[in-house]
Formats: sequence, C-alpha cells, structure tokens
Amino acid sequence: MRLPAGTRDWLPGELAAKRALEAALRAVFARFGYQEAATPGFERFDVIEAGLGEALAAESFRFTDRRGTTMALRPEMTTPIARLVSTRLRNGPMPLRLCYVAPVYRYEEPQEGRMREFTQAGVELIGNASVEADVEIMLTALEALDAAGLPDACIDVNHVAIVDAVLREVGLQPDEARVVKSLLGRRNLVALRAFCGERGDPKVQVLPELALLRGGTEVLERLLRYVPHPRVDGGIARLRAILARAESLSMGHRIAIDFALLRDFEYYTGLVFEAYVPELGFSLLGGGRYDALLGRFGGEAPAAGWSLGVERLLIALERRGGMEAAVVDGAEFLVAGDDRVARALRARGVRVARALNGAEEGALLAEAQAHGIPRVIVGGTCIEVAGGARRPVEELLA
Amino acid sequence: MSLTIAVPKGALYRESRERLANAGLQLPPDVGRKLVLDDPRSGARFLLLRPSDVPTYVEFGAADCGIVGADVLWETERSVSELADLGFGYCRLVVAAQAACGYHQGRPLPTFCRVASKFVRSAEAYFAERDLPVQIIPLHGSVEISPVVALADLIVDLVATGRTLAEHDLVIVDEIAPSTARFVVNPVRFRAKYEEVTSLLERLQCDA
Repeated sequence: MRLPAGTRDWLPGELAAKRALEAALRAVFARFGYQEAATPGFERFDVIEAGLGEALAAESFRFTDRRGTTMALRPEMTTPIARLVSTRLRNGPMPLRLCYVAPVYRYEEPQEGRMREFTQAGVELIGNASVEADVEIMLTALEALDAAGLPDACIDVNHVAIVDAVLREVGLQPDEARVVKSLLGRRNLVALRAFCGERGDPKVQVLPELALLRGGTEVLERLLRYVPHPRVDGGIARLRAILARAESLSMGHRIAIDFALLRDFEYYTGLVFEAYVPELGFSLLGGGRYDALLGRFGGEAPAAGWSLGVERLLIALERRGGMEAAVVDGAEFLVAGDDRVARALRARGVRVARALNGAEEGALLAEAQAHGIPRVIVGGTCIEVAGGARRPVEELLA
Repeated sequence: MSLTIAVPKGALYRESRERLANAGLQLPPDVGRKLVLDDPRSGARFLLLRPSDVPTYVEFGAADCGIVGADVLWETERSVSELADLGFGYCRLVVAAQAACGYHQGRPLPTFCRVASKFVRSAEAYFAERDLPVQIIPLHGSVEISPVVALADLIVDLVATGRTLAEHDLVIVDEIAPSTARFVVNPVRFRAKYEEVTSLLERLQCDA
C-alpha cells in the first residue's frame, strides 16, 4: 500500500521526538504570553485566495463540497488566523497574542523537509504596529530556535518598504517594480543586470548591488547613498531597533540585513525575515509584518508574525545527531500479575505496560528486552532487565 | 567555512575548471573516475556531476554553489540564485526543421506539430506562448534524426556551431534563447557563507 506523494508516517520514537520539539516550542510561546488557537483543516478557497494571492493559493489542495463550493486544505496558518481574528475577535482587547502548531498542506514539489503535508508552528501579534512589536516577534523567533536546540541559527532581516522606496527612487513603474522585486527576491543577478543594461539609466545600476548587499548596520549607510532619507527612515529605524535590541541580548551576531530577502507571500508590508542554519539548504523559519492582511477580511488591524517548519527543524537537529535517543516515551515497567501494583505505579506517573502472556520470568524478561522496557515486575519482585538486579516492589512504592 | 562546488562534466567542464583555477580553486589535474574531489590548498570540495543534476545539488544544499548552463536552469526550474553569467559555453536553443519543409522561409507550421526535444519544458513554454498546439516528444539524444525519420515535424535543441543541423539537412526556424554558463548558488548558503560566496563571485567575474 503506497502513501500519497509528499506524505509520511510517524512511528513511535520519531513521533516522540516531534512532540518533544513541539512541546518546547509551545512552552516558548506561552512564556511570551501567546495563547494557542486552532482553525479548521480546510477553509473556503476564496478565503485562502484572499489571503495568499492567486499564485500561492494555486498550490493548495482543492476540492468541492456537494453544493459545488470550492474548498482548500489550508496551505499555511497566517491567513486562517487573520480570518479568525477579523471575524471573531475584532472587537476584543488588543494586542492579541496567538500561536499555533498545526498541519498544513501544499500541492508543490516535495523538497527537503517540505512535504505536501507538514507542520507549522508560529506566532501572530495582532493589533500593534510599533517597532516594539517587530522586536518582540524577532525575539520570539530567536528564543524558539534556541529552545529547539539550534542556538546558532541565524536570522536575516529586511524591510519591504525600503526596497519599494529604492525601486520608486530609481524610476521604476509599478509593473517594472514587480518584475524587479521578483528577480531581487530570487537574487537573479544575471537577469537584474540584463534589465539594468536595457534601461541604460545610471540610476538603476544600484539594483544588482542591492542584491549583493548584506551585513550589519553598515549596509544601511550604504543604502542611504542611493535613496534620500525621508523615504526609508521608517524602515531603517525598525531594522536598527531590531539589531540594537538583539545586540543588547548578545544575539546581535545572529542577525544580518539582506536587501534581497523578499518572501514569496505577497501580504508582507514591512519587516520580513528568515532563519537558517549552515547545514540546511532551506530556511527554517520565516515571517514579518502584514498590516493589510486582516483588512482583506474586514478586520483592519496591523499584524506581524512568523512560522517555522517543524519537520525542517527535526532534519537540522537530526544532522547534529542524538535526536531520537534524547526522547523516550516507551513503558518503564512490564508488570505481570497484580493489577494493584500496576495501578499504584501509574498513579505515581510511571509508564507501565501490563504483561498479557502469563507470568513466567524468563519469557517476561525476553519480552521486556524486545520492547526496550528496562524493568519487569513479577511476584512482588522488580527485576532489572540489564544485569538482573532484584528488589522488592514495596521499595518502589514506598 | 569552505565551499562545496558543483562542476558540470561534459562540454562545460574544461572551461569551468580553468575559470575556477583562475579564481584560485584548483581541481586536481588527473581526476580519473573520482566524482568528489578536494583541493587541500583552498579547502574547496568539488562535485563532478551530470550537468542536468547541478541545479538539484545546489537547490538541496548538497553543494553550496555550482556552474551550469542557462539551458539546464530553464529546463530544471530549480530555485537557485543566478549570480553571474560566466560568458563561456555559448550556444543557442533553437527550433529547427528540415530545410525542404520551408518553415524557415515563412511557410506556416502544420496546425498540430510534433516536436521532438530533450528540452521538454522550454519547448512547451515556447509553443504555449505562441498558442500553438503541439505534441512534445521527449527524447534523450540524437534529436536531429527525428525529422529525418518522420518522428517529428520540428525539433527544439541546442546549437553551438550548427554543423550537426546541417549534416541532417535541418535549418533553424526560430531562435528561442542564447545560453551561456552561469554561476549559481543555494539561496540559504548565500547567507550562511556570504563572505566565501561573494569573494568567489568577484574572482570569477574579474575573469569574464
């Protein structure tokens, strides 16, 4: 029996490792005051399309219900959360801090750590457009990566409005700007140079340089040579604030500015960022600010957030070794005979499996060994599978 | 951190090797059958790959960067960043047909063409753009003989000198695009190994 392309099973052990990672992430979200919310696994397709735009919505799995309404399995969580907040929580107190850990579905070519079904974990900070909100979002991302066991993961940041201002400044029309942004986002220098060559205007020659400009606050100074202050001051102030605050927490070396970082999702309006570790060729986490998204659902509230791919994080951790060994969720005791012993142990929070095939000691030890259970209890005695040390059960229950 | 570089075997190999050497990265002289090679001096690692596999290795991050023909990039549609046109390996992707058909002199194409090609995606895109319904016949080599034996009306293929076309009485009907070797990089490795990648980019470009 074959699985559909881009899907996978999770065996015990594998799933324990994933759940442990998810628990660590949920704990970080909770420590920042974020509460988990859930939305349906599928939504009306028009909701998904309103959030993601035509091109990305096209990557969703779609089906029609019996009335002919087109539905889509959610391809990401930000749009459903924006819909939820706009319709259910718009009159509530702001800011709202929401988080999620949930499966999403995309009909795209399976990539490394990106299946057609995968798990997204992330946060949404809604109802506040301040620099402080941007900083908070970045810090939650750094803390989440730390808690996941990737304290060396780095984040590159950019501000969409800065790039838009530069493109206007060099005289691009809106349709040209769209083309150039797409080339810049893919860092296609060959096509950018060709575009600039055709235009001939010396002003546009800055664009290939923009695609290669990356680093700390010094790249902001470089940028200001090409574009007058007032146009980009807001964006630059935000990037400076993020770098300074990360610096104050000794995490400044993990953040760089990259003007070619423009995420695919067209809903971003300000800050954008992506996290990575050197051993993976894909980013682990991405996010930013999308102040116009809720308005598409009648909500009109600024919002920022990020999401990460849990499976990608697991791959990164696996490459560093020791992932599965760290997580054990199997039974600690194999108990034969007296139900009261099993019950008393379980009441203490111990994981206990009941022997189903009699109480012969040798068979019990063999069974425990085969299942990786470290101890057997039979006839009032606890026996260590490794080494055979014995002690009375009363000692355990004392 | 040193770089892992995907190098295409075949037509682009010799010049790729020279350009890398000029940039200070030395592929060992006698590579024999080895496909993974290390340059102890620079610390670089080279993967010798089938050209059409280079974008895959780079996209997945198995190689940080690589050299590959633009034609392969069009065909594989992998997300890699094209940082530089290295200028060598010039050839053209063209539509060709038998001279006797007269398509090159403006005679209209059949309403439903059979098109043989190794470049299935590029061929599909070309004809779709012109609203021409065609049947693409995917082949893996010797595409030039397909019109001769009436397997196809047209071919879409790479042409360097045009000699192979001439030998099969084929003429160019239209040029789709010129192709040259490109320096490509994994988008995340561009960030993770920024100094190394931009430094190599500079050294490769000053040679162009």
